[in-house]
Amino acid sequence: MLGKGIFKKPKNTLEASPFEATAKKPGASGEVCVKCPACRTALFLGDLAANGRICPRCGAYFRMGARERLDSVCDADSFEELFSGVVSGDPLRFPDYENKLAQARARSGEPEAVVCGTARLGGVPMAIFAMEPEFMLGSMGAALGEKVTLLFEQATLNRLPVVGFTVSGGARMQEGILSLMQMAKTSGAVRRHGDAGLLYICVLTDPTTGGVTASFAMQGDITLAEPGALVGFAGPRVIEQTMRQKLPERFQRAEFLLEKGFVDAIVGRREMKQTLSLLLRLHGGEAAV
Amino acid sequence: MALRAPSSPVVAKTPNQLFGKILIANRGEIALRIQRACRELGIKTVVVHSEADRDALHVSLADESICIGPARAKDSYLNMSAILCAATVTGAEAIHPGYGLLAENARFAGLCRECGVAFIGPSAEVLARMGDKNEARRAMRDAGVPVIPGSSVVPTPEAAREAAREVGYPLLVKARAGGGGRGIRLVESEAELEHAYHAACAEAQSAFGDGAVYIEKYLNPVKHIEVQLLCDHHGNVVCLGERECSVQRRNQKLVEESPSPAVTPELRSRLTEVCARAAKAVGYANAGTIEFLLDRDGSFYFMEMNTRLQVEHPVTEMVTGVDLVKWQIRVAAGLPLSFSQEDIALQGCAIECRINAENPALGFCPSGGRVTLLHVPGGPWVRMDTALYQDYVVPPYYDSMIAKLIVHAKTREEALRKMQAALCELVIEGVAHNGELQMEILSDERFCSGSYTTDFMTKRG
Repeated sequence: MLGKGIFKKPKNTLEASPFEATAKKPGASGEVCVKCPACRTALFLGDLAANGRICPRCGAYFRMGARERLDSVCDADSFEELFSGVVSGDPLRFPDYENKLAQARARSGEPEAVVCGTARLGGVPMAIFAMEPEFMLGSMGAALGEKVTLLFEQATLNRLPVVGFTVSGGARMQEGILSLMQMAKTSGAVRRHGDAGLLYICVLTDPTTGGVTASFAMQGDITLAEPGALVGFAGPRVIEQTMRQKLPERFQRAEFLLEKGFVDAIVGRREMKQTLSLLLRLHGGEAAV
Repeated sequence: MALRAPSSPVVAKTPNQLFGKILIANRGEIALRIQRACRELGIKTVVVHSEADRDALHVSLADESICIGPARAKDSYLNMSAILCAATVTGAEAIHPGYGLLAENARFAGLCRECGVAFIGPSAEVLARMGDKNEARRAMRDAGVPVIPGSSVVPTPEAAREAAREVGYPLLVKARAGGGGRGIRLVESEAELEHAYHAACAEAQSAFGDGAVYIEKYLNPVKHIEVQLLCDHHGNVVCLGERECSVQRRNQKLVEESPSPAVTPELRSRLTEVCARAAKAVGYANAGTIEFLLDRDGSFYFMEMNTRLQVEHPVTEMVTGVDLVKWQIRVAAGLPLSFSQEDIALQGCAIECRINAENPALGFCPSGGRVTLLHVPGGPWVRMDTALYQDYVVPPYYDSMIAKLIVHAKTREEALRKMQAALCELVIEGVAHNGELQMEILSDERFCSGSYTTDFMTKRG
């Protein structure tokens, strides 16, 4: 067989041209490819988006931005955003927090880690929120808590069901006790909405943890989860180290939670809209004309 | 984990320089052909290869090589993300796609642009437009190029029947996304139309993911004539004469020659004028070929445009003295052509025989295995483009073409004699090939007289 070095390299220098090249040289744009963390295939972003951010090769779920999520379930052109002016401040003057917020806004293109509004799903009017993973992993600060609370209050007032998509790393530590208080505030709003006889469906997506799990994420009348989503309060590594015990396989994953009764159903992304639409109708939602 | 395109564009360092490094996204003789051009130009080469091609000649000759996947082309030579990753990590400034594989893939050309790598070929927009056969016909008709009488896309069998009445039988049902002879059905009468329509749609859907078909008049007997174009980014368009490729078996060309014995100087100048106008109309840049059917009465009809280098490009190189691959690279780097139409005069005659690893005695069954003895023909004006070497094992996964034998002489008669002699010198032991069939074709009276048409192989039986 041919060895690697059997051919000599010609001593030709790069051919000089007497001409001036003026054609536009290729330019570069942003990100083109991502690697699937599960099967390690390099995927083009366009292909991934066209496939609902599910790896076309192995079926692994990628995180989905709030707007993309809303687009994937709401009826076309029906979404009307609410409370977009509510944004985080820096009440504790936490070191570097302002800088982090600016970065998060630039990265996600959103002013806050949740997008709220009203929309129709299969013709049924509803209030909806979707959390944004690219904004400090959907962490809950005062503004996020306020937006979710306002949405539930508005839904109670207008007698609308609420559909929510959660993704969160938990309370936002840069806002200290103020962020922890959001757990109680949002829980109160969810309760009043429920007491008014209204439906709340929460969809847990990967990952939903910390203070969000301990408040409005787990308070849905119906709790759905995406396949493989990690849902918990403290993460598995922290629990393992504290308890000094080996945790069962797939601990805190959606399938495990379904088995233990924390989740009502696991719904794939492709079936999400259809399932939500059916649930809304079964609970008395009528298509608006 | 994310792969990002480089923040600054990867381009040649100074404006009057070529690319410093090119990635070759192909295999076999064409990968070698591109490497030879690069080595002359002083450009470093990166080759990508499949697991089955580790011992291939183009891998040994490259400055850098990267294995991009298993043997099947789908997982390696057609794996766009792997090829672009290879270009990014090696710092290749341009990708030469060769022919076949990704050469006419508009999406790949677009992705190259997004990654800041130059695609050596026309723009993604032109690839997409010419890849849609129906759209290409419309563009050519608009540019004043004669097009085979036919319809636009026919969405139903009823629409097909109506269009067929206008066009007249016999006719062809052809896939809009067609290529390689797939998604085409010959229809002799109305009774066969519906069945042929469904068959063509189904075949096109499975082969190209697009089942749309249109109807075209079936012309027979005709000659297959194609015109080589070279266009730069400065509006210069040069036609490098025609090639005749009427010897075909199942839509695969076997023998090509330039100039065509059927094209008169008057016809040539008409073809040149029409092709230059068409290239300008679609904003073409780089090397491309416009294929025509030539009727007995000398009228010609546009068939399709091949937006890439062709297998048979050497015959044009021989008669014009223009190195097409080097010019493809220079044009992609933004350099203008250094010659104009007036500088092009076809010198003598060149013939190419494709040597395929298939056994004509066994119904052209593909052959493979170890080359136990190889003798390459030589002598003046004999060229053999091949990636074979002694002890090389021809893998079973790819195209069966293993070599191209090309000769050049002052006259057609002399070129025929030279090719006969060269074919006798060609020895490839261990792998069955069609060398003897080629000798028979060259001694066929219809071929020698130059009167052969596209039904040459079917008539031979």
